Amino acid sequence: MEESRRDQVLENPVETEETISDSFVCCVCLDLLHKPIVLPCGHIVCFWCVHKSMDFVRESHCPFCRHPYNHFPTICQMLYFVLLKMYPIASKRREDQILEEEKNTGNFSPLLNINACDSHTNQEYDCQRHLSCSSSTTKKFNLILEPCPTIESMQQMELNPMNQDTGMYIPIQNSDMNDEVTKSNESDQIVSPTYEPNEDCKHVSIVDLQCAACKQLLFHPVVLNCGHVYCQTCIIDRVEEMLRCQECQILHPTGFPKVCLEFDHFLEEQFPKEYALRRNALQLKRQPIKNENQNSCSTKASKSCSLLHSNTGEQNVQSCADPQSKVHVGVGCDSCGMCPIVGDRYRCKDCVEKIGFDLCGDCYNTQSKLPGRFNQQHTPEHKFELVAHNRSRNIFLRLVAGYFEDLTTLTSFDDASEISENEFLAPILSGDPSEGTENSSPRGTNPEGAEDQNWSESIS
Amino acid sequence: MIDFSRVQKELQECSRDIESSGIRVTPKSDNLGRLTGIIPGPTGTPYEGGTFCIDITLPDGYPFEPPKMQFATKVWHPNISSQSGAICLDILKDQWSPALTLKTALLSVQALLSAPQPDDPQDAVVAQQYIKEYQTFVGTARYWTETFAKVSSLGVEEKVQKLVEMGFPESLVRSTLEAVGGDENLALEKLCSG
Repeated sequence: MEESRRDQVLENPVETEETISDSFVCCVCLDLLHKPIVLPCGHIVCFWCVHKSMDFVRESHCPFCRHPYNHFPTICQMLYFVLLKMYPIASKRREDQILEEEKNTGNFSPLLNINACDSHTNQEYDCQRHLSCSSSTTKKFNLILEPCPTIESMQQMELNPMNQDTGMYIPIQNSDMNDEVTKSNESDQIVSPTYEPNEDCKHVSIVDLQCAACKQLLFHPVVLNCGHVYCQTCIIDRVEEMLRCQECQILHPTGFPKVCLEFDHFLEEQFPKEYALRRNALQLKRQPIKNENQNSCSTKASKSCSLLHSNTGEQNVQSCADPQSKVHVGVGCDSCGMCPIVGDRYRCKDCVEKIGFDLCGDCYNTQSKLPGRFNQQHTPEHKFELVAHNRSRNIFLRLVAGYFEDLTTLTSFDDASEISENEFLAPILSGDPSEGTENSSPRGTNPEGAEDQNWSESIS
Repeated sequence: MIDFSRVQKELQECSRDIESSGIRVTPKSDNLGRLTGIIPGPTGTPYEGGTFCIDITLPDGYPFEPPKMQFATKVWHPNISSQSGAICLDILKDQWSPALTLKTALLSVQALLSAPQPDDPQDAVVAQQYIKEYQTFVGTARYWTETFAKVSSLGVEEKVQKLVEMGFPESLVRSTLEAVGGDENLALEKLCSG
């Protein structure tokens, strides 16, 4: 630890911690964002801060704007690595601090690792945690994490030697992706050899901040549930029926995400020239088709998205309130992040982690091979079991929710053994008492549902 | 466990703009779990000119659970118990969000002083008076402010004398008064808590 600290200092002549821009201060812990998650409303919150503020009985709400969401989003790796570059010292402190907390609770956040980043984390834990990542090889990790510089990024690296030192560039150019995408040729202009990064931010280059679709500097970035970042226009333009991430092929479960404004302001500030070029190019492109195309496409996309995908926000909200629904209180899906799981729930019988590993019906059926949300060492060979929906428990929950405003009583009454199995809830209930029991006491009204009937059946 | 690093940050942030907001938060003891908030009575209300102390207790789950707040200064208001000082405010209950802070919560309490909600009362007697005899309500509220929330009307020496009469040693009284910025109620509280 001492050594890596010294390395940091060598790289940064300033020994004191960097001043963190207000844009990258988490609204919950008031510290530098750690493993940032961008919620569908566009607000950025730390991984654990999101998790701790989630409601495990009903839909959750953004701590900042109260915008509802049903899916625990995946960490935005792009932002994570950008912050790592911009604030190496503060990031290191946060990393250590969170790791300490995680050791206490026994629940871990996903390990985001690119070879050269090893020095930033505790070696012992790296080995252990890296196992799970590599065992469940996903397309996502291969694509993003393996440094495979293309010509463009090599050019960039020559211009920004810092990249080589830290080895933390994120090459997301991938030629086979490009043909799917509506592309304009402005990219050549933007990634031009004359490009000079802003002084304040010499560690971060445009290569780190490219849209997964158009491969240009992000403009009005939106972050999907899988954590990948696109220009808003690149997604609106897509005629595909559902919002599917091109990077990892994962469906975006809810409606159209909002632009992450803090991120957008950051882009505009750091790369004013390139940002303006992007804006101008898009305005030119938009002008003639603005009235019919843009609107119809976006509404079509969101509409069909909600029609076709059974886990959309609106339907999930309904289903939570639907008396026929099967709500697995306190359990989230480790693939799509739906929390609580509504409908069928499959639990991994072989995962030994305290937090467990569960999938919702849809993700089980599509054979999701994503790693767990909490760094479980789940492998595709593991066996699942369908967890019966506890009908009487739900009735109980409903009654309790109806009669007691202060639901802290609930946990003491409740079947503790059942709850401790509940994956998303586990860190809070069985973990370090410092985690508090805040979320373990489901607040407010409880889903009315008690019938043992699949909610999707009842809808059809 | 309370997230003390966040509480520390909140206190720093709060002391930074004490001039503009007038809102002060001070820890009661070394343990950051118990604090005192001070809000000035909003201008144009019967509470104008008063300084109101609020007892704050942070639950273990803070900031994922709301802080417990209660008026230490007696106040006549439909949404605040005239007996216990309990506050009826949604953001201190189910509408709490971890993005709110002690300062924003105190600002909301201050806003509640300006805009009573008699339809959702904490103190039924006050609420009835507010609805039926508004002028009497204003009079009572103003009288309570004058009586219980005005400490600045006394000079320092008078405050010292008052506290010394209560049985505290003079040197301790002076240093405590200084530490809390001359607020008599706060000083008393600090002296009592040891």
